[in-house]
Amino acid sequence: MIVTVEPVLAQEISAQRPYLYRIALLQLRDESSAEDATQEALMAALEGAHRFEGRSSLRTWLVSILRYKVIDSLRNRAKCQTSLSSDEYEGDPFDVLFDDRGQWLQPMSNWGDPAETAERNEFMRVLEACLTRLPTRSARAFLMREWLEFDPEDVCQELEITTGNLRVLLYRARMQLRLCLDHTWN
Amino acid sequence: MTEKNHITCRDTTWLVSDERERELTADERMLLEKHIIGCSRCRAAKRQFEIMFSGITRYLGKS
Repeated sequence: MIVTVEPVLAQEISAQRPYLYRIALLQLRDESSAEDATQEALMAALEGAHRFEGRSSLRTWLVSILRYKVIDSLRNRAKCQTSLSSDEYEGDPFDVLFDDRGQWLQPMSNWGDPAETAERNEFMRVLEACLTRLPTRSARAFLMREWLEFDPEDVCQELEITTGNLRVLLYRARMQLRLCLDHTWN
Repeated sequence: MTEKNHITCRDTTWLVSDERERELTADERMLLEKHIIGCSRCRAAKRQFEIMFSGITRYLGKS
């Protein structure tokens, strides 16, 4: 096969490999599946590079290709997860944040406006670090909703959990991310 | 069921998470707004969640 891609564009595509791999790994939680999905996405991008018209950013375009490869990978993966013991959903790790009347114990810190300022890349780095620290199941459920845009029913089927479990997992993922950002960003 | 006329800070965090998943009911929205108007900590927490959600959207190449 002859691939005719502008060398500069091909280099820019390849340079995104680590970023794509990290996202794939967050979702798949398996190094070799993440490698494969990343590799397939990069190959597809190089083959289809003539279709990249620069209307979106290169990253946005590559992540959208990776998304399809990751969904394929999930579909092909044998389901071999053991079901959860119910105590994974009991108790609430955020008790320490609230008093017994459900009020915040601590004042909130001000994060500033990291999306609009020069701090943006640093904020993204911290956010990524916090995402990798999420418990596997929370992270997978969270990314299936936020990134892959699976319907809740599909997430439940994929992870073999109930919709009530899913609500708890998503709540915990969001609470934990906020807490992690609050500790790291300030 | 007894009618609720107020919610706690902790309840608001659930609603902020649920809101990302589905449209809140009119009652839920009213309770959330009422609480947030009177609670500076929840206003600040909601702002943090908004910054976090827009960061995630950006990180995932969606904006």
